[in-house]
Amino acid sequence: MAEAARPTPSLRARLSGGLLVLPGVVWLLAFFLLPLLIIFVVSFASKDATGHVIFGDLGLRNYLEATKPEFLPAFANSVRYSLLTTILSLAIGYPIAFWISRHGGRHKILLLILVMLPFWTSYLIRTYAWMIILRDNGVANSILMGIGLTSDPIAFLNTDFSVVLGMTYGFLPFAILPLYVSIDRLDDSLIQAGRDLYASGRGVFVHVMLPLTMPGIIAASILTFIPAMGDYVTPDLLGGAQTSTIAKVVQVLFTSGRDWPYGSALGFMLMVITLAGTFLAIRALRHEAFG
Amino acid sequence: MSDRHDGSGIDLERELAHHMAEHRISRRMLLEQIAKVGAFAALAPIIAACAGGAASASPSAATTAAPSSTAPSASTAAVATATPEPTPVPSPESDLFIYNWDGYIGENTVKDFEAKYGIKVKYDKFPDASTQITKIRSDGKGGGYDLTYPGSTDVAPLARDGVVAALDLSLIPNIKNLGPTWQDPGYDPGNKFSVPNYWWTTGIAWNPKKVKGDITSWANLWDEAYKGKLGMLSDQQEVFSAGGFRLGYKPNTTDDAELDAILALLKTQKPLLRDYTEDDIGDFIGGQLWMTQAWSGDWVQMTYDDATKDARYVIPSEGAIRGSDVMVVLSGAQHPIAAHLWIDFNLDAEVSAGNSNYIGYMGPNLAAQQFIDPTILANPNLNPDKGVYDALAELVSLEGADLDKYTKRWLELTS
Amino acid sequence: MNRGGSRWLTAFAILIYAFLFAPIVVLIIFSFNTSRRNFVWAGFTTDWYPKLFANRDLLEALSVTLQVALIAVIAATVIGSLLGLALARMRFRGRGSSEVLVLLPMVTPEIIMGISLLIFFSQVFGQNGSLGQIAIAHITFCISYVAVVVRARARGMDPHLEEAARDLGSSSVGAFWHVTLPLIAPAVGAGAMLAFALSFDDLVVTSFNAGVGSTTLPIFIYSSIKFGVTPQINAISTIIVAVVAIALLIGWRLGTFEGEDRRQVAAETDTRA
Repeated sequence: MAEAARPTPSLRARLSGGLLVLPGVVWLLAFFLLPLLIIFVVSFASKDATGHVIFGDLGLRNYLEATKPEFLPAFANSVRYSLLTTILSLAIGYPIAFWISRHGGRHKILLLILVMLPFWTSYLIRTYAWMIILRDNGVANSILMGIGLTSDPIAFLNTDFSVVLGMTYGFLPFAILPLYVSIDRLDDSLIQAGRDLYASGRGVFVHVMLPLTMPGIIAASILTFIPAMGDYVTPDLLGGAQTSTIAKVVQVLFTSGRDWPYGSALGFMLMVITLAGTFLAIRALRHEAFG
Repeated sequence: MSDRHDGSGIDLERELAHHMAEHRISRRMLLEQIAKVGAFAALAPIIAACAGGAASASPSAATTAAPSSTAPSASTAAVATATPEPTPVPSPESDLFIYNWDGYIGENTVKDFEAKYGIKVKYDKFPDASTQITKIRSDGKGGGYDLTYPGSTDVAPLARDGVVAALDLSLIPNIKNLGPTWQDPGYDPGNKFSVPNYWWTTGIAWNPKKVKGDITSWANLWDEAYKGKLGMLSDQQEVFSAGGFRLGYKPNTTDDAELDAILALLKTQKPLLRDYTEDDIGDFIGGQLWMTQAWSGDWVQMTYDDATKDARYVIPSEGAIRGSDVMVVLSGAQHPIAAHLWIDFNLDAEVSAGNSNYIGYMGPNLAAQQFIDPTILANPNLNPDKGVYDALAELVSLEGADLDKYTKRWLELTS
Repeated sequence: MNRGGSRWLTAFAILIYAFLFAPIVVLIIFSFNTSRRNFVWAGFTTDWYPKLFANRDLLEALSVTLQVALIAVIAATVIGSLLGLALARMRFRGRGSSEVLVLLPMVTPEIIMGISLLIFFSQVFGQNGSLGQIAIAHITFCISYVAVVVRARARGMDPHLEEAARDLGSSSVGAFWHVTLPLIAPAVGAGAMLAFALSFDDLVVTSFNAGVGSTTLPIFIYSSIKFGVTPQINAISTIIVAVVAIALLIGWRLGTFEGEDRRQVAAETDTRA
């Protein structure tokens, strides 16, 4: 419907469109793409005996190296964690955004800011707080053992569970906010009409709400999936020996491994795959929504 | 991209002369600085060096050139304009920029130093050692800082690449306080570029409430009985050295067959591990780890917490690593005199002991021992007798292909 | 939605708010812990609060963090909103590549973005990191987040409204100010809040672009992991949360948040039905 509503652009619209993007595009070209170009060149370079990058013969060897299957488990972990995080964030975020928008009344903005309030403390301290809750002698285990649900502490930390929990906690606001702005825009009359048309709440949701809020769902998916793919701090702190991610591999190559050419090649492959996956998913979602 | 640097040597020298006149830097220091600056101006393709995280002068020029023999014309010109007063102890600058871990020195060290010398300290922090090294190498001369605390194994490559400056030991009289083994350490003979700060061992910490029997060997970290409660450090060289000790190999081995054997051994350990931990202290106190590879100073911190106050630590019988870190003055330091004063101040017996008592790491400072907490001194794990001490091995700084051998296997193990 | 459904929904919402605030409650409680290492509860003390105000480094780090966040939020919100609006509403040459350009910073691993900026500033401008350099880095990665949120709101917004305003004699600027901006305002606000959270929390990119005197709070806290995160850090987080909460409470009492509420009537009819 968004596509259909767009008018043929006048010259003025074209011009003002260009003017609106100009600051952003110039900024990103200067402070993102240009610096990135340095690393892009590095990804084709090699290094000498002391680890310094040499540009003498550029080639694809780092990329060929990076396609080796040894990183597949880490990559699979990254995709699994990111998908789970995205799905959970949408599943939790949508009802919350809907609730704030429709039942928040005059407290809507307050409720929205409250969603963000925990994120104005430091990430590390929040994560430490989760550790206090989840660790083997922590709050959760004390409660579970206290009421006799388990005799030995359950290993919550350093597992897939704690990684996905940490990521979902961290990225939930990134889903709730775009979902809210999208749901809040919906006209009640449309929902009312939908209710008259489809008897069930499910029908209204699938045929009216979902298509109309698809831009918000897409934005929420982008804002959770992409950062989750690149997040290495959460898996590092809450994860364990069996929860390696591809972002961590890139990190190791750049830091203790001191292999910038290889690390950047792997990084760029990760970027291309993530970007391609994202665009494919957006297309599929849009198709789903707009038929 | 490299335009900025072409011919900028002259300007830098003029600046330096001006700076020297202002701060009355000793003649020797000035000459040393010029050696570096001259070499820096003669930089090879900038991008090549910078992308390596190691923009620097060509190795030979920066580190081996004797101060008096390098860039004679430049130095005479600079000296002529500056007319330095040959004061034996030059007066220090008014600021000092330090780059270090948080909480790595005594609580009052900065305050006391500022009070004593009237120098204002800016104490910036880095989140991890890799960031530290990347940052100080980014411009090849310290990233704007005067002084930092790298691991001792980083000294040689940093000196070779001209990132750290040779020390003027005449400004550090307290260096006499160092114990005999630290007057001429293997990683930096004669303490030419660095002064040792703390040292520690890497061994095994365990919780006697949970782990039965006496722990003596690295093999204990392969004990199936404690599956899911075992930890190793998130440090490839430390982990591989532990595996190597079990197999009887020398630490720092670069032999492919030996490394493959270690990797195979470590792969049998991985399913038993809770974590390759970034925070051995927290994971131990939190109860996730009952037995873990740990640094001796971290074990001291574990015992500070009620939950694990009877934690124990051992230097395993097969052998163990002795690590240390150092203070270095960066080659681009704007306040080199103040940096030397800082080093001297921290070598003072009482200051050094104050630092050690605060964080639980032993200093190499012999004179400081009388002020160190007797429980630290009496502890054979923290202050082992000579026989044990001499058997400890140091890790070396791996580079290039040798480092790749470790990284490749480390990633294969952990991913 | 019927009454029962909405009650379930409210219960679910309360549960999720509890999930969001659970670690914050723990964090606040542990700011009163006597144990320096702060992992296990050892006893009650308020000592960390006065200690915190004597900790020059920590206060400086907080001040740097807030300054950076303020600059980054304002700049990224303005630039990102314009970008998001244009991407959603306008057709112009290079629109496709602009979309890719907006998403690229988000898919770029943080370490690559951090190191590329470090080298860029160090080798091209001879800069060794500073508050300004951190701010530039933060603006760069915040722009994308703001743009994506604003784009989602502006997409499918009726473009005839603006046209109509122009037809009625409004200038382009006037139409933008009186019609477009109010419509996208919630998204702009949401984008600004996300940008603040991102800037306030960033570690990796920041640590490579910090210089002398520009240690931020996340760098400070991360650096202290090695020798113990003291309850001082919890105390400073508690103060921030408390200040924001009090500001919210005052704003709420004064009715600041009672903006547009065209839905309330509908919601009430809803519950009656």
